[in-house]
Amino acid sequence: MATTPDIENEPSPDREFNEEPAAEQPKARVGWQYTLSQVRRDPTAMSGLVVIGVATLVAVVSFVDGVLFAYLAGFGAFASLGVEQYAIAEALWVSPIAETGAPILRPPAFLTNELYPGEPGTLAHPLGTDHRGRDLLVRLFYGTRIAITVGIVSTGLAMVLGMVVGSVAGYYGGLVDDALMRGAETLYAIPFLVLVIVFMVAFGRNLTFAMIGVGVATIPTFARLIRSRVLSVREEEYVDAARAAGVRDRNIIMRHVIPNSFAPVLVQATLQVGVSILIVAGLSFLGYGAQPPTPSWGQMLSNSRDYMLPNPWFSIWPGLAILATVVGFNLLGDGLRDALDPRINN
Amino acid sequence: MGRAQYTIRRILQAVPVLLGVAAITYFLMEAMPGDPVSIMLGPSPSAAQAEAIRAKYGLNRPVWVRFLNYLIDAVRLDLGQSIYYKVPVTRKIAERLPVTLLLLASSFTFAILTAVPLGIISAKRRNKPTDHVSRVVALLGVSTPSFWIGLMLIIVFAYRLDVLPATNLILPWAPVGSVDGADSRVDVLAAAGRHLLLPTLSLGTLQMAALTRIERSSMLEVLGQEYVKLARAYGVSEFTILRKHAFRNAQLPLITLLGLQLTSAIGGAVLTETVFSINGMGRLIITAINNQDFALVTGTTLVFGFVFVVGVIVTDLSYAYVDPRVTFEEAE
Repeated sequence: MATTPDIENEPSPDREFNEEPAAEQPKARVGWQYTLSQVRRDPTAMSGLVVIGVATLVAVVSFVDGVLFAYLAGFGAFASLGVEQYAIAEALWVSPIAETGAPILRPPAFLTNELYPGEPGTLAHPLGTDHRGRDLLVRLFYGTRIAITVGIVSTGLAMVLGMVVGSVAGYYGGLVDDALMRGAETLYAIPFLVLVIVFMVAFGRNLTFAMIGVGVATIPTFARLIRSRVLSVREEEYVDAARAAGVRDRNIIMRHVIPNSFAPVLVQATLQVGVSILIVAGLSFLGYGAQPPTPSWGQMLSNSRDYMLPNPWFSIWPGLAILATVVGFNLLGDGLRDALDPRINN
Repeated sequence: MGRAQYTIRRILQAVPVLLGVAAITYFLMEAMPGDPVSIMLGPSPSAAQAEAIRAKYGLNRPVWVRFLNYLIDAVRLDLGQSIYYKVPVTRKIAERLPVTLLLLASSFTFAILTAVPLGIISAKRRNKPTDHVSRVVALLGVSTPSFWIGLMLIIVFAYRLDVLPATNLILPWAPVGSVDGADSRVDVLAAAGRHLLLPTLSLGTLQMAALTRIERSSMLEVLGQEYVKLARAYGVSEFTILRKHAFRNAQLPLITLLGLQLTSAIGGAVLTETVFSINGMGRLIITAINNQDFALVTGTTLVFGFVFVVGVIVTDLSYAYVDPRVTFEEAE
């Protein structure tokens, strides 16, 4: 249905004469409210949302935990409760980067590995320790922050730039379209990972450029999507009407084309966050991502390669973390697609 | 427009894309910090030495002149000299490309051979347990990092069970004498197959999962078409409907995806080659980047772009074989 929310939600002038209850008014199939109402009904989307929610919570907590624990510690001093609270705060907080002198390559709680036969792991390190005696659970926890940030920031960047490129190309057509789409095709022809690595080598081998690189490399995905939507929306009669009424091109794109592309873009963006997380994990695995000692899942996997025989758990956990997070985004994306695609709905 | 004409037009359309690939890589490498001269001569070369090197490699000319020269040379299949390996880039690529193509071919074969039946069964038994299992497998497949699958396969099959090799890939075209315990070509092929198994699973799982998903949805769409209903109403058996009416029509989206998957598969090959220590194009480009081997990076990327473009053209052309309705008139 190609209608804008503005028109649909306009109160009908002869509402009072209308016998039908208001609930049977057709609802606009665009916009956040509709999306949310559909998602709530879809168990797939909801389970994805729960996974993402947990991962985001972990990421947010790991952003503020330093402040949080410093506050707790400071609070103890202010309340003149002596060192007790400070000690609790300190005992609770485990640094993801400091080497604490704990035994290296410990197995997870209750399990053994070849290095420690007959000496199962303890709850002090529930998932075991890495090659420097750092707690794997803590490092996994902090890795979430990087995965979620990189996934969302790079996708957001790609979405905005892709929308600009795609709508301009589709709306104006002709030479502009040809030039922009050939450009997008060119970006697409270079393997993603290679493009991002070359980009990072040129501009900077850190996480910021990893995000920008992945974002730029993803532009074609969104540009193509928006362009195809523009091409179909452009032919709609209400766009003709708007044009005849003297509405400017920019306003037509902003008010009609973009809102009508909302559903497919949202679906694509959700799925893309998962893809970006996988790519950045791959980048980190190759050493082009967060630099040590900052923990990231890909880098943990890269470190674990030399210890797969003595402590395979070191390799297992980060992969499971990536898998779970990406599954979350894929479930939400699939659920959104089912919920928002009228063809499947009917 | 005939097929030949269409093919020629598609090939001509690929030229600007390849030019673009060359330009992007060339200028990104140009923006790279670090001076190739100091890489070759060490940190503090004498001015005369540096000048000699600059003149030898043409580094004293403006960048666009060098780029144009690069393009002219590239057409003559001269991609320059690798600074790191000290051999022509084309020779290094000729040595490594077959390995990566073999890996790509084996994983795409695995992916297609598993995805098509899985997708069809899933669509036929929609919302039955078989469908749920296949959908979960596909979901996990697209959500798992390929290199992690590789690590897990190594832990299980190479370390724990000790039944399959994890490194030292044997190539099917290796000389018989160079392979341990091989007396004939058959032995070499068997050894190569065993060595290829884990890398293929590692790289192919993602493709398999993505293809299964598209095959399922495409099959569902075709099976809902009027002509399928009509065939069913006439009492045509389900198997015949699948084989004669649905199968070919459902393969178009799959073919499109195959072409597009190539670029992500090449990226995956970089990781898979790293995990299994395979000396292919993927490891080559990583070595080249890490050693700031300008010509090698550009050359390798150009070849990747070339492989991708060829893949897309082949998929475009294969439409006509799958669907006789496709005429080249409307095709872009």
